[in-house]
Amino acid sequence: MRMEEIPSFLISNGKKEGATDIAVKFEENDETMIRFSNNEITVTKNWREKEVEIFVIAEKGRAETRTGILSTQNLRELIKRLVNTARTSPPAEVYAPLPTGPFEYDYSRLEPSKGAVPPERLIGYVKKAIDSAREAGAEKVAGSLTFSIYKISVQTSGGVYAKEQGTNLEVSVRAFSSELASGHSVSIAREEEGFDPALAGRQAGEIADKALNPMEGQPGRYDVLLGPLVFADLISQLGERASAFLIDAGQSFLADKIGSQIASKELTLHDDPILKGSYGLRIFDDEGVPTRRNTIVEKGKLKTYLHNSTTAKKSGVETTGNAGLLVPTPWNLVIEPGNKKIEDILSTIDRGIYITNSWYLRYQDYSKGDFSTIPRDGMFLIRNGELTNPVRNLRISDNILRIFRNTARISRERQWIKWWEVETPTLTPHALVTDLNLSKSTI
Amino acid sequence: MEEILKAALDETLAHGAIYAEIRFQSDVSESVLMKNGISEVTDYSQIRGISVRALVRNSLGFSATNLCTKRAACKAARKAITIAHAASRLTSPGVSMDNTEINQARFEVKPEIPSRDIDLTSKIELLSEGYKAARDSAEQKGVKLSGCVLRINLLETEKIIINSDGGEIHSSIPRIALSTFLSVSEARRGTTQRFLHLGETSGWEAEEKWNLPLLLSEETYTLAGTLLEARKSPSEKMDIVLGPEVVGLVCHESCGHPSEADRILGREAAQAGETYLKPDSAGRRIGSPLVSVVDDPTIPHSFGFYLYDEEGVKSRKRFLMRKGVIEEFLHNRETATIFEVKSNGSSRAAAYGYEPIIRMANTFLEPGDYSREELIEDVKKGVYIKNFMEWNIDDRRYHQRYVGLEAYKIKDGVLGERVRNPVLEITTEGFWSSVDAVGDDLQFQAAYCGKGDPMQGIPVWTGGPHIRLRGVRIGGTLL
Repeated sequence: MRMEEIPSFLISNGKKEGATDIAVKFEENDETMIRFSNNEITVTKNWREKEVEIFVIAEKGRAETRTGILSTQNLRELIKRLVNTARTSPPAEVYAPLPTGPFEYDYSRLEPSKGAVPPERLIGYVKKAIDSAREAGAEKVAGSLTFSIYKISVQTSGGVYAKEQGTNLEVSVRAFSSELASGHSVSIAREEEGFDPALAGRQAGEIADKALNPMEGQPGRYDVLLGPLVFADLISQLGERASAFLIDAGQSFLADKIGSQIASKELTLHDDPILKGSYGLRIFDDEGVPTRRNTIVEKGKLKTYLHNSTTAKKSGVETTGNAGLLVPTPWNLVIEPGNKKIEDILSTIDRGIYITNSWYLRYQDYSKGDFSTIPRDGMFLIRNGELTNPVRNLRISDNILRIFRNTARISRERQWIKWWEVETPTLTPHALVTDLNLSKSTI
Repeated sequence: MEEILKAALDETLAHGAIYAEIRFQSDVSESVLMKNGISEVTDYSQIRGISVRALVRNSLGFSATNLCTKRAACKAARKAITIAHAASRLTSPGVSMDNTEINQARFEVKPEIPSRDIDLTSKIELLSEGYKAARDSAEQKGVKLSGCVLRINLLETEKIIINSDGGEIHSSIPRIALSTFLSVSEARRGTTQRFLHLGETSGWEAEEKWNLPLLLSEETYTLAGTLLEARKSPSEKMDIVLGPEVVGLVCHESCGHPSEADRILGREAAQAGETYLKPDSAGRRIGSPLVSVVDDPTIPHSFGFYLYDEEGVKSRKRFLMRKGVIEEFLHNRETATIFEVKSNGSSRAAAYGYEPIIRMANTFLEPGDYSREELIEDVKKGVYIKNFMEWNIDDRRYHQRYVGLEAYKIKDGVLGERVRNPVLEITTEGFWSSVDAVGDDLQFQAAYCGKGDPMQGIPVWTGGPHIRLRGVRIGGTLL
């Protein structure tokens, strides 16, 4: 069976077995990743994979599968098993038929891909990232560079058919000027034109260079300037925890807060998967519904949760085009820029700290939003509006909603962030958060 | 399949590889998810494919395909060579595999009750009974079960690995895992939440041992007690008794991860981070003479069980820290060469599409001879922290924080009132040096440990007995 015939085959067979709703997502990837550390490449990896995900509703019970075994026999047996599984399962709390198409998609947002980038050129990008970081003061540089060509199609029993293809490039660079002084930056883009590994390397190297000879940080409450990497980590929490599934599960600090002022008026956050040329571009969701720009937070007020058709029906609203067939998710987060330059915001801080990156964010309680996360890479004291000594060994220990409410300034400059710690591409400014609690180890 | 793998191995060697390893891995899983007592979805997945790892001119190439044909495998072999060649201008001489003994072996864990023999209705009913037990328990305590997510995951993993040094490993392993999230709430007191993970290398018989309804009933009852009764945590220097769940996590985070040789070499610097240990740190004292932390993949039924790693090296128990002193790092064959030791069989991959890297298996503190009661009765003023919710550690694995969930004051050797969210924020050496007594009640918890790029979640156990720390500072509640 030819690949393009698989979705119709599955839908046809699924209906024969008794399914009322079937969605088939077909993905094809050719991805290359180059990992490097200590200024050298440590491994180069490639994946070529074709995979199908099938979601079935039968007698209001639901089942799903993921397989790369695409033989006719396996798919025939699989769809039979899946329909039986769905039928055996108790009815879901809410039965929402898959949305009925056909829909119109704005394919004009998908620029024609220029195709594969040869390995030699990818190696060249790695070299640029390493060299730029070293020229900026780093002694050793680590990271990873990924290039992928992807095709995704969604076909459903609701008469929906959508497909898109594209490329993605990303580099994550961590530079060290000493064992205890490091900086990190990233560059992500859909095409080579917007991809700048040299800039990412230079930014990481410059932070590492400034971070040399750090002194012990002192715990306390500070006005804190958060760089894009750390602010993206927090904002991606806001995007991800807006999922209606997580609200329902008791795993979100946003429950019962639609219409509430959850952040300062400085903060406006969109999920914008139709932003042309952006890394997280996606013109349809996993139900085949055309995606759209959703404003999650407008001037600090929570406007919407993210929905698929099932969570939307339960809440009595329309889908927001964020399916995940089970868990709605954001695609491409965009924070509205502020009107101040970073240096102007910095100049307003008399006594504070600048944090450039963090990792390992864990909650004490999702519904309250108490959490901590640990800065890594350059962290600096701010005195009288200027960066002074580098510091280390502090931890952000606070409440995430309190941080958003205390977000006093957003910078005009923004940077796309996606890396190991931040999965959703996020266009992120610098942010000034007042009265942020920083703790540290006691012995 | 063996014929396909052999063809790919030959193809790799014919194109200039000085070392090659071909792995077929099939992971078939069934996962049942229930949210707030309602069946959400049942997931049945077939993840299988072939990967090729090749060393060419000091450069490692890795290629994976989920098309399990000879043609696709040979194409993947050539791709691994091509990309390794391309990268070789940015690698340095000296990359090689150590000369440890490479094995031809077969290991299999046969479940007493194959999970596939249990019908779906029984699995859903089990989760439903678990939910009802939790809900009833909450009601009994006068609180609401405001969130309950239960997932049971049944996994069958088959592997065939061959390499150019004569290794050939066949394995077949079933796993069962249960993850639970509980949230209880009360109008005046707010919410309290708990994650709990269980997992074993076994069939359905593990579930029968866990007794899910009873477990969830007890956990919810206790959680409700914490919500309703816990008072503000003290904030001062005192003695602490920690439960096995916390001790296991500390072993994993502050001793297991730092001992990974690839991390010591900086290979994870941009992702999972670095370590406070150096290549010459063996012999460095980190803790009191009472603490020995080991990693042992050979424990029968353990979640991290394996007998041979992905490079064909026989697994064994490793002392990461013995009597408070760093002893051995976790190695694969490549890092073993650099450190001039033999690999101790730590190379693992989460699925066919993942490069094998150095991983923990079952990391735990060796038990001592104190009962829990004996640990407590010798504390004049302190806190007992049984389990946790929030935790994290810096990327050098030296500054960590654990926030207690079920916790009690100790006064004159007796457990007193519950305390809310006691915070232990401490360095690795500060922690291990403060241990003055180790319990005899070794217990394990299951987890999926994250490392690598792309991130690989690998099954592990973390474990330990109760322990006592003298004179450490407990922080207050947040804000």
